[in-house]
This record gives sequence, structure tokens and C-alpha cells, in this order.
Amino acid sequence: MRPHKKRFRRRVKVCRFTVEKINYIDYKDVDLLREYTPTNGKILPRRVTGTRPIFQHKLTRAIKRARFMALLPYTGA
Amino acid sequence: MPLYELGIIVDPEVPPEDETSALERLEGIITEADGEMLGKDTWGRRQLAYPIQKKNYGVYHFWRFNVSGDVLEKLNFEMRTNDAVMRSLILNMDRELRRKRKMDAKYEARAAKKAAKAEAKAKSVGDED
Repeated sequence: MRPHKKRFRRRVKVCRFTVEKINYIDYKDVDLLREYTPTNGKILPRRVTGTRPIFQHKLTRAIKRARFMALLPYTGA
Repeated sequence: MPLYELGIIVDPEVPPEDETSALERLEGIITEADGEMLGKDTWGRRQLAYPIQKKNYGVYHFWRFNVSGDVLEKLNFEMRTNDAVMRSLILNMDRELRRKRKMDAKYEARAAKKAAKAEAKAKSVGDED
């Protein structure tokens, strides 16, 4: 092994919606949506969470609906 | 008639009789148009994620109903003009769930196929013995 190369194990990211077979993301399911919005209120990108594109699309829609209904914040505290 | 889901936030500071009358009026609009109420869900008083109309709390109601699409305009108008209603959202659940049904069917088919395969394999193993 070359000394200058750092070894690290990459955490395997899985799409939760594929694994748990959640096929519809409801905006009322606030606890689920909260996992994808950190305290600053932004939506975590696919790059970070490993969510599949279809579900990321549904997720953003659900989060935006939840924001409109004041279940989630637009911005963090 | 499509299935709709209505989410509504009622002002917690209005007197309770105003709240019930507002909700009854909305329900009246639905039932008058031969709509069918399928389910009601209330979350009660809940803290809002951000203040709306300078209020920090809201009373959440969620309804499911079948009604023809042209009634929605009336419903929306009623909710906009009623002071007790702070926010409302109507979703067409038929459209929302169409994809879910499709994907559920797909998953089911896949599971059935897998089960059939496993069964066939178990059978073939049994034949060899």
C-alpha cells in the first residue's frame, strides 16, 4: 500500500424508499420528512442520502407541501 | 368522482362554535354536490413550523372525500373567504396514488415470481433425492 493514500471505508448509502417499499410519500408524515431536512430546513441532496431519483422527486414535493402547511419550516431557526 | 384529500388549518383563537360552523359549511358544500365523505382526521392544536397571520398554533383537520371536480372551486372560495381558515390544501389522491398502485403491483409481481422460483427449486431438489 502506498503510504500517501489514505484508506477509508465508504459508508454504503441505500435508498430508504426502495428498501422499505414506500411507494407514496405523504406530506403528513412529518417524522419521515424530517430525516431529509436538517435543522437549517434545507432538503438534503440525493448525493448525500442516496435516495433514488424517483423518490427524491416525490420527497421534495412532499416536503414542499409540508412547508406550505406549516408542518416543516422554510428556513432554520 | 375522484378521491380528494383536504388539509386545513383552522385559527385556534376563533370561538369553537365558529370553527364547527366553518367546517360544517365546507362539509355542506361537499354533500350538497352529491359528494361522499370517506374519512375525517383531526390532529388538534399543533404548533406551526412558522407563524401564520402572527399565530403560532393551528388546528389541523384532514378529510378524504369523493366529489366532482367543479366543486373544488367553490370549496376553495369558501376557505379563502372564511376568516377561521388559515391555510388549506386539496390534493387529488387518485392522481397521487396512481403511481403507487402501479409500483405496488410491480413489487407484488416480483415477489410472486421469486416465490414461484423458490418453490420450483425446492421441488427440483426434492426430485433428485
